[in-house]
Parts: sequence; C-alpha cells; structure tokens
Amino acid sequence: MKGWFADVPAERLAAVRILVGAFASVYLTVRLGEFYAVARLPAVSFDPVGPIDVLGGPLPPIVVLAIAMVAVVLAIAFTLGFHYRIVAPLAAIAALWVTAYRNSWGMVFHTENLLVLHLIALALAPAADAWALGPRSPAGHYLARAGYGWPLRLIAALTTATYVLAGVAKLRLAGLAWTDGELLRNQVAIDNLRKALLGEPVAPLATQLLEHPDGFIAFAMLTLAIELGAPILVVGELLGRWGTRLAKLWVLGAWSFHVGVVLMMNIWFPYPLSLIPYVVVFRPERWLAWLIARLRRVRGM
Amino acid sequence: MKLLAAGFSIALVASVLAPLVRAPTDDGYPLSTYPMFATRRPTTLTLDYAFGLAGDGTRRALAPRLIGSIEVLQARAILESGVRGGPSVQRALCDDIAARVARDVDLADVVELHVVTGTHEAVDYLVNHAPGQELTRVVCKVVR
Repeated sequence: MKGWFADVPAERLAAVRILVGAFASVYLTVRLGEFYAVARLPAVSFDPVGPIDVLGGPLPPIVVLAIAMVAVVLAIAFTLGFHYRIVAPLAAIAALWVTAYRNSWGMVFHTENLLVLHLIALALAPAADAWALGPRSPAGHYLARAGYGWPLRLIAALTTATYVLAGVAKLRLAGLAWTDGELLRNQVAIDNLRKALLGEPVAPLATQLLEHPDGFIAFAMLTLAIELGAPILVVGELLGRWGTRLAKLWVLGAWSFHVGVVLMMNIWFPYPLSLIPYVVVFRPERWLAWLIARLRRVRGM
Repeated sequence: MKLLAAGFSIALVASVLAPLVRAPTDDGYPLSTYPMFATRRPTTLTLDYAFGLAGDGTRRALAPRLIGSIEVLQARAILESGVRGGPSVQRALCDDIAARVARDVDLADVVELHVVTGTHEAVDYLVNHAPGQELTRVVCKVVR
C-alpha cells in the first residue's frame, strides 16, 4: 500500500490531467459530426450499452448533438482545471454518456474505453491543485492528503487491466492455439476483405503479410506477451530502476503493437497511439513546464 | 483520506476486471471483455455491401459515410439490417444511398447502385484478386 501512495509533485498529476483532458476535448470535437450522424440511424439499429440502457429508445438527434457539445465544453474546462471538483465528474459522466451512445448501434468499439476510464479516475483525484484556472481552496483538494501519486498508479492499473482482459479473452476463447498465427492471419484477412467490400482502404501491409503466413506466429506471440505483460506498468516502479526501465520498454512495445494494428488492419486506436495513456511512467510535468516557460517567453516578447 | 482514495481505486479497478466473470463474448461498454480478434474465424466471408456502377460499367467502391456512418462496422450493420428487412426496406436503403451518391462530386460518373450479398475467400480476394460470388438484392438509379 505504501508504494501505491508514494508521493509525486502535484504538477505531474496536473500534467496528466491536461494531456488526457486535451485529448478528450479534441477527440470529442472531431467526432461531433459522427455523433450526430449515428443518432440519425434507423431506430431498429439501436442496441443500448452501458448507461444508455436507461433509455427506452433513441434520443432526437439534435438532443444527442447538444449533449455532445456540452461534453466538449466540459472536457475543455476539465483540461483547464476550472472549478475542477464540480466540472471534472460532470466531464467524465458526459464523455461516458456520449461515447456509450455511439457504441449503442449494433457495434461495440473498444477504442474509447480507456480514455473514459482515465477521465473517471482523474475526475475524483486532486488533479487540479497545480496548473489550473479559476478559484481553488487554499487547502487543496480533499483527497490531496492522500498525495498526488495514487491517481497515476490507478491510471496505470486501469491501463494494465484493459490489456490483460484482452489477453485473457484470447486464451479463454481460443486457448494457446491463438499463438499458432493462423487465427490472427484469418482475422487480418477477413477484416481487410470487409474493408475492401465496404469501401474502406485496405491496410498498407495487409496483402504483403498475408502472403507470408509464418510471420503471424511471431505477431501472435508478441501480442499475447504485450497484453499479459501489462502488469509491469504497475509493478515496475516498485521493482526499482530495472522495473521502471522494463515498464518503459513495455510502453514502447504496446505503442508499436498499436502501430502494427494500423499497418495490418487499418484499425486506429487514437488514444494509445497518442502515447498519453502511458505518460504516467514518465515525467510529463517537465515537458509541460518547458512548454509553459516557452509560451510565457513568447507572450513577454 | 488514504482509505477513501484506496476504496475508490479498488472499486474502479475491480469494476474494470469484473467482466472476467462474464462469458468472454458477453461484451459491454465501458466495462468490456475485449473479445476482439480472439475467436477463430473462417476466411470465407459472406457480407452485404453496396457498390456504384459508372456509365462505362466500372465498379466504384462506396465509402461508409455514403452508407450512413463514417464507421465501417456501423455501415455494415446498416446494410445488414437493410437487407434483412425485405424488398421494401432494401429499396429504401438503396434509394437512401443513391441520394448520397448523387450529391458526391467524386462519384459523378456513377449511374446505378447495387446492393448485393457477396461470398468471398479473403486471401483469394486480397492476394490473388479472385472474387467469389454475388447475389444482387436490389438495383436503383442514381438520380441527379
């Protein structure tokens, strides 16, 4: 438990808030058109998931768009740390609602889960005790007495859990046969065929790789190693310098895995590809401090 | 305060891990079992899709947004439910897509729209450029 609460500067947690919040703000803004388009799909396709289960049927598209726009505003306020104790939970709930609604039309995506989980983790954390706009209590956030390190470990644990779940699902559904490469090759082939027929670009390396089936054995084993090796992200820090290095190596592996998914299947996981979910093993406050100093210098000119 | 922070942390991580006790195919959001790419699948695929036919007989692929969603998997769901809906729903779907195609300047040469159910072997189609069979569900004109 001591390791979980080992303290870090408030600026590190604030930097993670700014990065995750900024990503959510941009992501939700870019997706506004899609949220509206999805809301106009025939009601027969509506298949509610998560919190959307409370609805008896689809909402009017204009209401969906309005909620999405509110979610964008809340995400921006979350990023700025503005009235954080009130705004942050509302921002997390709004992002959960909007993304769940998008997932409620016959297809559950897996590209937004981690972002929403990180927003929820940060929403109740003292993540705006530094680098925040607006009024703040002089005593700081009530959970600041538990330190600023535990939310970062919680974010790492949530990231770990999602990867481990994906690895376990493969073992539960296919067993060790998943590592023979054929199953992965079939997935790549079918997914790219579907894209070709549905007017999407085929992945850049798909056809070349499909000609060499043996290569998929290595890809399959690496995938499972990354997914089941994710706990190093949480325990690495506790194992000292080598543990931290292993955690950083895992980050490189996980990011490369997502790049590989783009090259083989043209499936984009924007949040992991941005590297933001993994910044907790680095010191992002240094990057932001450098950026803020640069901006102040430019403004002073 | 540490107790509160620990309680929140444990509750959130336990919630995310809770799908471990569900069937791996029982997916959800945001608490998912992450079953993507986990199942063994045959490489022969039967799929409902649409394509445009230009005046000179050239086939033109239609981006998912022309079907009704920028997401390829949601576009597939729209086509599937349209084809399953029978002739009148198929006709409405075809007219709906044709109206979007008519507004697309890049597809100005498309005169006809086909909604089909095709069966293809994936590796043959992608690597050997050998398509399988198609069953035409509905054909409609692109009116400009």
